[in-house]
Parts: sequence; C-alpha cells; structure tokens
Amino acid sequence: MRGADLDIRFEGAGVSFGARAALEPLTLSLGGNRIGIIGLNGSGKTTFARLINGLTKPTVGRVTVNGRDTGDEKTAGADVGFIFQSPQNQIILPIVKDDIAFGLKRRGFTKAEIEAKVDGVLARFGAQALAERRAHELSGGELQVAALCSVLATGPSILILDEPTNQLDIRNRALVEKIIDGLEESAIIITHDLELIAGFERVLLFHEGQLAADAPAAEAIARYKEIAA
Amino acid sequence: MQSLYVEGNSLMHRLSPRAKLLSLAAFGIVLFIGDNIALLSMAMLLTAVVYRAVGLPLADALGRLRSIFLTIAVVALFNLIFNSWHEALVTLLRLTALMLLAATVTATTTIAEFIDEITALARPLERTGWVQADDIGLAVGLVLRFVPDILGRYQAIREAHTARGLKVRPTTLLAPLIILTLRDADNIAAAIDARGIRRHVS
Amino acid sequence: MSTRDLVLAALFAAIIVALGLLPPISLGFIPVPITAQSLGVMMAGVVLGGRRGAIAVLIVLVLVAISLPVLSGGRGGLAVFAAPTAGFLVGWIFAAFVTGYLSERMVNSQQSGLVQTVSFFLAAMIGGIIVLYAFGIAYLATAAGMGFSKAFVGSLAFIPGDVVKAFVAALVGRAVMVGYPQLPVRA
Repeated sequence: MRGADLDIRFEGAGVSFGARAALEPLTLSLGGNRIGIIGLNGSGKTTFARLINGLTKPTVGRVTVNGRDTGDEKTAGADVGFIFQSPQNQIILPIVKDDIAFGLKRRGFTKAEIEAKVDGVLARFGAQALAERRAHELSGGELQVAALCSVLATGPSILILDEPTNQLDIRNRALVEKIIDGLEESAIIITHDLELIAGFERVLLFHEGQLAADAPAAEAIARYKEIAA
Repeated sequence: MQSLYVEGNSLMHRLSPRAKLLSLAAFGIVLFIGDNIALLSMAMLLTAVVYRAVGLPLADALGRLRSIFLTIAVVALFNLIFNSWHEALVTLLRLTALMLLAATVTATTTIAEFIDEITALARPLERTGWVQADDIGLAVGLVLRFVPDILGRYQAIREAHTARGLKVRPTTLLAPLIILTLRDADNIAAAIDARGIRRHVS
Repeated sequence: MSTRDLVLAALFAAIIVALGLLPPISLGFIPVPITAQSLGVMMAGVVLGGRRGAIAVLIVLVLVAISLPVLSGGRGGLAVFAAPTAGFLVGWIFAAFVTGYLSERMVNSQQSGLVQTVSFFLAAMIGGIIVLYAFGIAYLATAAGMGFSKAFVGSLAFIPGDVVKAFVAALVGRAVMVGYPQLPVRA
C-alpha cells in the first residue's frame, strides 16, 4: 500500500535571514517513505520542510526532489503537497468541493475530469459528506481532511505535514492520525505530538538551526527530551 | 450570502452573458445621445417589460431598486426646480431605463457566469503583466470564504467588551478586528502558493 | 502582485463587506451610530497603503457588479452603477488609493503618536472626502444633469459625517500600525 520511496537530497543547503541562520548548511538524503521531524519552536524544522516544497529557497547550496532542483520556479513543489498547522487558513473558497476543484484549474483537465477527481479524493477519505459544506461551519478536523483532499487532488507523491494536529481536539486528532497512518503517499511529518511519529524508522531532530539527531524514533525522542530539559 | 440571480427562462435568461453586457453598454451610450422624450419613454417601457419578465415577485422586483430610484427621483426633482420639466423628464426616463436594464442583466446572469466573463475579458491584459486573470476568481472566492469568519470575530470582540464592561471604541473594536484578520494573510498566502494555484501554467 | 498582497487586499475587501452587513456601530464618543462601510474604504488606504487599498476596494466593486448584495443595506448588482450616485462608488477606488498613497508617504514609525494620527487624518480627508466627492459630484453633474454647483451643494450635507469617519479611520490606522508593526507598509 505504500508508495514509492522518497528521493530528497540536501546539498549544503541552508537558509539565513541577514545575520541570522534559520538553518545551517546541511547535507543529507531522505529515503524511505515516513520521516518524522521534531524540535523546539524556532529550531529550524519548519524551514527545513519548506525547503523541500520550494516555499523557502536555500540561501546557500541546493535541494533536489526526485531529481529536480527546488530553486527552479516552474517545477518547484509540483510533486510535494504541504499541509499547514492552521486548519482554517487552507480552504480558500467558501464550499469544500469548489476549493478542491480550484487547485485543478488550468492543468488541462475537462470539467468532467475535474469533477471526477474531486469526487475521487473525497471518497478516498470517506469525506463525501464534506463536499457541499461551507468551510466556516466545519470543525478543525474536518477542515484538515478537506485541506488534505485539496492538496492530494493534484496527485503529489510526497506530503509534508507541518504540525497537523496542533490545533485539534482529541477526537479530531485521532481522526487525522488515522488518516496519516493510512496514506499511500510518502509523508514527512513535523510535530510536537510525539505519538504521531513514535513508530517511524527515521526521525530528524533540529535544534537551533542544526541537525541534532538523525535516528529511529525512540532514540531521537530521547535526545529531544535531553535537549529540551 | 444570496446572490441577486433569479432562476428563469425569459429572453434575457437565454442570452449569453457577453451579449447582455455588450447590450447594456451600448444601451447606456445610446440613452445619453439626444433627448427625445418619446423615444426615451419607449426605452423605459421596454426595459420595464424585460425586467418584469425576469420572474421576480413584484414586491421584490421593486424593493431591489427602491434606494436607487430614490436618488434618481431626487435628481429629477432638482432638475425640475432648477432647470426645465423637459430636462427633468429626460433625466428620469434615461436613468430609470438604464437602471432597469442593468437590474435585468444582474437578475439573469449567475455569479459563475460573471466571473468567467470578467476573467475572459482580463485574459488579454495578462500580457501587460498588470493582472493575472485567474486572480479575479480567486479574490472573489477568498472574500466569500472569509466574510463569515470576520463576522464571527466581530461578535467575539463585542462579547469580550460586554464581558469586561468596556465601552466600544474604534481602537478597541475595529483595530483588533483588522489586525486579527490580516495576520492570517501570511498563512493563507503560503497555503495558496504551496498548492501552486498562482503558478502560471502555460 | 505577490500572493500575500493579493490575500491582504482580499481580506480587507472581506472586512469592508462585513462592515456593510453589520448594523451601524455606536462608537463611544459619537452620539449617532455610523455606517461603517465607507469608513472601511478610508481604513483600507490607511492600513494597506495606496495600491493594496485600491485593489481591496476594486474587489468589493467586482463583488457588487457580479450580483452580490454587499453594499450596506443589501444593495448590489449592476443597477447600482446606473444610479446617479455611481460616481461616489467608483470614486471609492481613487479615494482609497490617494488616502493610502498619502499615508505611505506622510507616516512613519519614528513619529509621535499625535503626528501619526494627524497625518492619517489628513490623508483620509484628502482621499476620502476631496477626491471621493470630486468623482461623485462630477458624475452627478454630468450624467445626472445636475450641473456642478447644484451637485456640490447637494453633497455638502454628507461632509460632516465623513469628517468624523476620517477621524475614526486615523485612530484605527494608528492603532493597527502600533498593534501590527510587521505589516509591510508598501506593496
């Protein structure tokens, strides 16, 4: 059920804003299809993730995803979906199915094809009931599911989730956790919610802009607790 | 929010949006040429018939135009007092006919059709680099998406005032409303860019 | 235009629409409740600057044109642009632009609160009254055949209310500047 392995390479890639380094130059490769990313706020973990989908460009070095340089405007991020923390700021049209369809515009699909894709992605998560709903009436969890549908409708092979359960209550959190677990796409998950990544074979720990650990979950989490203490 | 579109099958319903908009523009120009009362009266009658044919209950049809007609009437009155009855009548007929036809176009064209039409008209302008045609539909969607959130935020701020026994002041109501709303802009923009929505796909 | 600027303009357009949907607001020191929508136009310029403020207002007018009843009182549709007062509506765009343009140039973070507020007030008056009324009166005089002097006199009654709104816009503009310094001042 899992999709193809990740092929992400950081080649001396780092990000600085003036004198401040958000992320020190880093060289590593990401493979497999589940990566966890943990660290304190401001540790550089979000900067790291945003380098992968091209939302942030490296100020030194470069990053390639499936062989393509993320600095290339045309193709950057095309293969990478990104789910943000805040559930309500990702659905940008009033009605869920319109929002999903909007991301498919101008890609050469016919109206019928777009409708089929929208129905298809909603069905994938058993979320057909959300199709006609208005975004402002939905719970945090429902909004995250809707956002997932919107992002996955265009078929990215990689999904980055930036603290996806941070603003959710227990029930919604469980829902999203279940969905993440069953994702076919490769997933990179940034989170404070350590249970989400507890079973991952590879977890990256960031601290003060540098990679502090690159190990299986248990070890990385232990190191995290040391640092955070 | 309910749009002003009215479902129906009148002649105007069946015309294409572009034809209607062009007719409206042309009609607007023609109305201002010359001041023959007989012709203007006919124009007004015609537009009244067409508007009636849209299918709105009379009360609603009139209600929509009440405030606009009021300003027209006031202006006509001014003309009557300070100029001549002829000019007053011309103004009255001219503006009313324009109002009726405009209201008819509005009532017989859906929002989606309007957006498609404006986007198509803006498409050639993309070459100047001034505008991305698809931004229009996106902007409209964003507004409709977030108005309810803003209304909710407003109520919350008002309630907080009441709970604390504070008097409502512009700096304690409108300023927080604006700040809290605009602070989301970065996140929303990031989500839009991450989905590649504004990437010009050629 | 950057995505962030587009979103800022759209969000402010949403604020202007929301203000039109709400009942008139009673603001402490003013005895009469004020309809906040035209206030919203001045605030768009003061808060977002010339370019984005004008775009925010333009978006609102597009909403009106495409049949949404977003003007206060539930008005909307193309008929609104056929009214004699249409000049005031289209003038909103230029009012926001001038208010914003002047705000960007006259106000900076180094000044005292009083100077900032007075500068915003001047910007809002010049944009929200002088420029706006110029457009409104011009259209009233020509298309409605009222003649400039009559149109001018007829509009005078509304000016005091708008002066109050300019003052409120200035207060809010300054409060937003202080409370949200990270808002990029120029588009």
